[in-house]
Amino acid sequence: MTNDAAVRTAGVWKVFHQEAEEVQAVRDVSLTVARGEFTALAGPSGSGKTTLLNLIGGLTRPTRGRVWVAGREVSGMTGRELARLRLEQVGFVFQAYNLLPVLTALENAEFPMLLQGVEAAERHARVRELFARTGMDGLEDRRPGKLSGGQQQRVAVVRAVAGRPALVLADEPTANLDSAASEALLEVMAELNRELGVTFVFATHDGRVMERSRRLVRMVDGAVHADERRSS
Amino acid sequence: MNMSARVLVVLALRNLRRQLRRTALTASAMIVGGALLVFSLAVGDGGHEQWIDSGVRLGTGHVTVEHPGYRVSRRIDDRLPADVRRLAEQAFAAPDIAPYVVASSAKLSLNGLASSAAGSRPARIVAVDPVAEAGFGMLDDQVVAGRYLEPADRLAAYVGAALVDSLELRIGSRFVVQAQDAHREIAGQLLRVVGVFRSGLPEVDQTVLQIPRDTAGEWLGSARDVTNVGAVLSASAATAGVRGRLERILAEPVARGDARVMGWRESDPALAAAVAVDDFGNYLVQAFLFTIIAFGVVNTVLMSVMHRHREFGVLQALGLTPRQTGAIVLVEGLTLSAVSGLIGVGLGLTLTWWLFGDGLDLSGMMDEANGLTVSGAVVDPVVVPLFSVRRIAECALFILGVGVAASIYPALRAARIDVTEAMKFDR
Repeated sequence: MTNDAAVRTAGVWKVFHQEAEEVQAVRDVSLTVARGEFTALAGPSGSGKTTLLNLIGGLTRPTRGRVWVAGREVSGMTGRELARLRLEQVGFVFQAYNLLPVLTALENAEFPMLLQGVEAAERHARVRELFARTGMDGLEDRRPGKLSGGQQQRVAVVRAVAGRPALVLADEPTANLDSAASEALLEVMAELNRELGVTFVFATHDGRVMERSRRLVRMVDGAVHADERRSS
Repeated sequence: MNMSARVLVVLALRNLRRQLRRTALTASAMIVGGALLVFSLAVGDGGHEQWIDSGVRLGTGHVTVEHPGYRVSRRIDDRLPADVRRLAEQAFAAPDIAPYVVASSAKLSLNGLASSAAGSRPARIVAVDPVAEAGFGMLDDQVVAGRYLEPADRLAAYVGAALVDSLELRIGSRFVVQAQDAHREIAGQLLRVVGVFRSGLPEVDQTVLQIPRDTAGEWLGSARDVTNVGAVLSASAATAGVRGRLERILAEPVARGDARVMGWRESDPALAAAVAVDDFGNYLVQAFLFTIIAFGVVNTVLMSVMHRHREFGVLQALGLTPRQTGAIVLVEGLTLSAVSGLIGVGLGLTLTWWLFGDGLDLSGMMDEANGLTVSGAVVDPVVVPLFSVRRIAECALFILGVGVAASIYPALRAARIDVTEAMKFDR
């Protein structure tokens, strides 16, 4: 794989068995996402976009095929190696925000860096800079329960980005947000992509995300149906 | 503690605080359990210490030095050689042993026959130094008629009440004792009853009579020889240490087969068994109690795990290994157990000491007319709780162990979650 690829998949399949039935969630997907891309995997529910995201993020293993993240093959890694990969190379943004309720916004954003062993001063500096960029100034000490959905998702984005991963995987990040909050969040992510070069891969069926993405991979029934590149 | 470990501990502690009511309920059970554990063990240990003290004072002490053959033969032939007796007496006065010794006594004990006009009875004749024995034993305090032996006494006998009755004796009566002497001849001695005791132990009151050691020496031709030199220690827990030091001092006579050093568990196996059985019963009750408490901890921690299924998925997605995820749950269980258990232990110590420090009177549960005996020991109805650092440490470790054991299953559940399933959004 070329060094400038954040992600590459080659002939990836993911097959689930539900009772006697075989479900091909991802079928023979070969895809390369270059560093710095802002890519959306689009498609209806059940099209396999979240499963593909999970395969790329090492949350599940492919039934067949191979996956590389930041030049390292994920498919054959042990559980511990996968955990390390997720910690150092992959940031996640989830539909349900998924902040840790017992930590403040600042602590949530710092969490991956804490596990990475980044020094406190460096952690604070990175998070405060990202909080300033995302309009979260002054909310550092609030627990998730005291933040709006949009604010929580911005903390989740900062958490995903602050550890300087090779890519950020965002699964329906705007699905729980109203239009204004969605627009604001997308603007934040687009800015982080533009100015810091963070690679984003979205799984979405939100038209606003698709509009903003510079590459749109359409999935149908687990397979790549179309791969469109757009000018920003 | 590295950064990751610190983060895991912070997460665990905050999660406990997050479910304050649930945590408080389980902690309460642990606190009550810890307090009961300490109370029960302190009273049990205090009772056992009294049994042991009573048993060893009526017997040969917490530690005893005897001829290896004496315990089986009970014959005068198996008495301690004079040089070994002197060495044993010096050993009990050694600087590393003396601080533990409350009293020591050298005795010549043998089986014989006591006869009067009313008949003959088997007797356990114990020749003692009256002054040393008064500090060592407890029979001198159990006089029911007459007095205890005095240093100037010669042909005097201090006799168990039941033996006195069966021989139809009274204070001042004369009777004859017969036993094998040092020359392997049967020798008789005329004695006069100077005192009568009632220990509460039928086997003692029916057979034992004490005489001055000098009288025995002249009667049996054994001079100042004894069958054992024993010591009562300040606490039974000191037995093993004192015994080890004695064995080092007496290594030579022990090696040549002239002496054997025994702790009370060997010299009084029935008493040791009674203590062990009673301890076992106590442990069973505690195990039952803590099994119930453990289920409470399992419930609290498992509920917390089920409630935070998605959270554990997030943690693993962010880079925690399954082992680290499980560690959070273990730390929660351990912290809950450690804090509440230690509070319980502290509470138990305080309440037991405050309420029963002077003794817990169980006389209402005993038949005072007949008293209560256990394996050759008289049970005092007032039990003084015994606290020891070892026991407190054991309680703390046991509670921590229960906490860890109760957290293992929830920890495994947390570690083994399917991350993608846990992360699924409830649409």
